[in-house]
Amino acid sequence: MMKKIWVIVEKELLDNLRDYRSWTTGLFWALFGPLMLGGMIMILGNTVRDKVYGGLHLPVQGAENAPNLITFLETHEMIIDPAPVDPQAAVIAGDVNVVLIIPPAYPEEFSAGKTASLQLVFDSTRQTAMVDIQRIKLLLEEYSRYMGSLRLAMRGVSPEVIRVVQVQEQDTATPQSQALVFLSMLPYFIIFAIFNGASPIITDATAGERERRSLEPLLLNPLPRGWVATGKMISAMPFAVINLLITLFGFGAIFEFLPIEEMLGMKIGLSLGSLTAIFLICLPVVFLACAIQTVIASFTRTTKEAGTYLPFVGLIPSLPGLALAFLPVKPALWMMLIPTFGQQILINQFLRSEPISASNVVVSTIVTLVMSALITLAAIRFYEHERIVIG
Amino acid sequence: MIEVQSLSRSFGKVQAVQNVTFTAPDGQITGLLGPNGAGKSTTLRMLYTLLKPASGSARIDGFDVTTSAIEVQRRIGVLADARGLYERLTTRENIRYYGRLHDMEGPELENQIDRLLVLLDMQAIADRKTEGFSTGEKLKVAIARALVHNPSNVLLDEPTNGLDVMSTRAMRQFILRLREEGKCVLFTSHIMQEVAALCDQVVIIAHGRVTATGTPQSLREQTGKESLEDAFVAAIGSEEGLE
Repeated sequence: MMKKIWVIVEKELLDNLRDYRSWTTGLFWALFGPLMLGGMIMILGNTVRDKVYGGLHLPVQGAENAPNLITFLETHEMIIDPAPVDPQAAVIAGDVNVVLIIPPAYPEEFSAGKTASLQLVFDSTRQTAMVDIQRIKLLLEEYSRYMGSLRLAMRGVSPEVIRVVQVQEQDTATPQSQALVFLSMLPYFIIFAIFNGASPIITDATAGERERRSLEPLLLNPLPRGWVATGKMISAMPFAVINLLITLFGFGAIFEFLPIEEMLGMKIGLSLGSLTAIFLICLPVVFLACAIQTVIASFTRTTKEAGTYLPFVGLIPSLPGLALAFLPVKPALWMMLIPTFGQQILINQFLRSEPISASNVVVSTIVTLVMSALITLAAIRFYEHERIVIG
Repeated sequence: MIEVQSLSRSFGKVQAVQNVTFTAPDGQITGLLGPNGAGKSTTLRMLYTLLKPASGSARIDGFDVTTSAIEVQRRIGVLADARGLYERLTTRENIRYYGRLHDMEGPELENQIDRLLVLLDMQAIADRKTEGFSTGEKLKVAIARALVHNPSNVLLDEPTNGLDVMSTRAMRQFILRLREEGKCVLFTSHIMQEVAALCDQVVIIAHGRVTATGTPQSLREQTGKESLEDAFVAAIGSEEGLE
C-alpha cells in the first residue's frame, strides 16, 4: 500500500516540480509575509524614532501674539514654522498634520488674566499624526499649568490648591507597543504561507488532472481510490513545509538583520530555538491545509473553479491571527480546540517570550491532526464517488 | 473473456443502457457498433469499473466488475474516451507511471516499455515531453500505457477517432495484432466500415439496447440484406451514424 501511494507521490512531485511557474508563485507568497512585515517595521521604526526624539515642526498662525508661549515651545524642541494661509484646508489636504492658531485677542486676554483661547487644527482620524498631536497638546497643557501656577503664586495661593489629584501613569506596555501590533500579524502570514504552498500542487493534481481528462484513466489502475487521493495530498506537503520554512527563515532574517532594537527599542524573540518551536507547532497545520484543499479540489470541476476557492480557504483559517493583532486574548484551553487558531496563539506566545503551557501544545496538535484525518476521509469519499469523473 | 448480462444504467430520467447482453470471447475482436449517444461508452465505462450498473452484471475473466473491481482492473487495458496525458512527463515516464501502478518495476517494466515503443513505432518520441504531441502521437502513448501490464482483455473506446488515414490503418493493424496474441478485444465505433473490416463479432446498439448480435455474415443473413450497411440500417432502424 505504502509503495503504491509512494508511486503517486513521486509522480506528482516530478510533475509539479517541472511546472516551476506554479510553485514559484507559491514561494512568492512565502516571502510576501517577511517582506511586508520588514517594510512595515522599517517605516514604523523611522516614524517612531523621528516623532519621539526629533524636533517637531509646528506651523503657527499669529506667533507674534504670544512670544512667551513660542519661546516655551521652542525650548521644548518645537520648530516653529509659519502657518499656511488656510490652515483647515492644509490639514485636510494632508500638507501639515497640525496647525496652532493664536488669535489676535490672545495678548489682551492673557494680560487680563482671563482664560485665553488657542485653536489647534488637526484630523483625529489620521493615525500617523496622532503622535505629533498628542505631543503638542501635552505641551500646551503643560504651559497652561505652568502659567496658572505662576499666577496663583503671585496671588499668594499655593498651586497645590487647584491640583486636587495628581495622576502618576504606569504603562506596562513598552513604549513601542505599536510595533507589537505588527508583530502579532506574523502568525497570520505563517498560516497563510502554508496554505499557499500547497494550493498550486493540489489544484493541479486533482482539479487539473480532471480538466486534462487524465483522471479517468488514472483511476482505472488497480489500486483503491483512497490511495490515489492520499498520495496526491501527501505530494503537496513538501511544498507547504518548504513555504513554511522560507517564511520562518524570512522572518528570522528580518529580525536578525534589521536594526529592530535600535529602531523600535525592543527585542523580538525569534531565536533559532523559537523558530524551530514555531516550525514544529505548525507541522499539523501542513496536514490540515493539504487535507482541506484536497477536499475542495476534488469537488470543483476545473482548475479555474478551484482557483477561485482556494485563496479564500487559506484566508479563513489565517484570519483569527489578524484579529489577534488588534484584540489580544489570553490563551485558554478552548482556543486550542480550534485548528490554526490555537497554533496562532502559541506562535504569538513564542514571539512575546511568554511561558507556554505544554498541555496547550498537545491539545492543539492532537485536535488539528484528528480534524485533518477526518477531512482526509471526506476527500477519499469524494474520490470514491462516480461524480469525481463524470462531474 | 467479457460476459455481459442484462446490464442497465440510467442518468436521471435518461435510460442510457437497457438490458444489454453479449459475450466477447478471447482471441476475437468484438465491435460495439452504434450511432452517437447509443450507450456504447456508458456500457464500456461499466465494464471498466468506472460506473456502477443499476442492474445486471458483467464479468471479466470471471471477476464481477462491481464486487471485484481491483481484480478486473488488473486484467483489462483501457483506452477510455478521456485519454489525457501528463504533458510535463515524457512518453516513457507516462507509460512507466502506469506500469508502476500495476506493481511492475525494474528490468521487467523497462523491457515492456521498450517493447511497446517498438510495437507502436514511437521510439523517436520516447524521451520527449508529451506536450504538443499530435493526436496520433497522444493516442499511441495512451494505448501504450493502457497495455503496459499486458492485459488479456483490451477495451478501446472509439480508438480511431480523430486520426488521419495512415494512423487509422496503423491502429487497425495494431488491433488485429492484439487478436493474434490471443487477447479479448472489445472496441466501440460508430463507423460501420471499420467494424466490418475488423470484427469477428458485432454487437449493434441503438437507444441503449442491443438490436442485433452476430458475425458480419450472420447479420446480413438475419436482416436479409445484401450489404452490411443495409443490415446496419435495418438493425438500428434509421440511417443515423452512417459515414
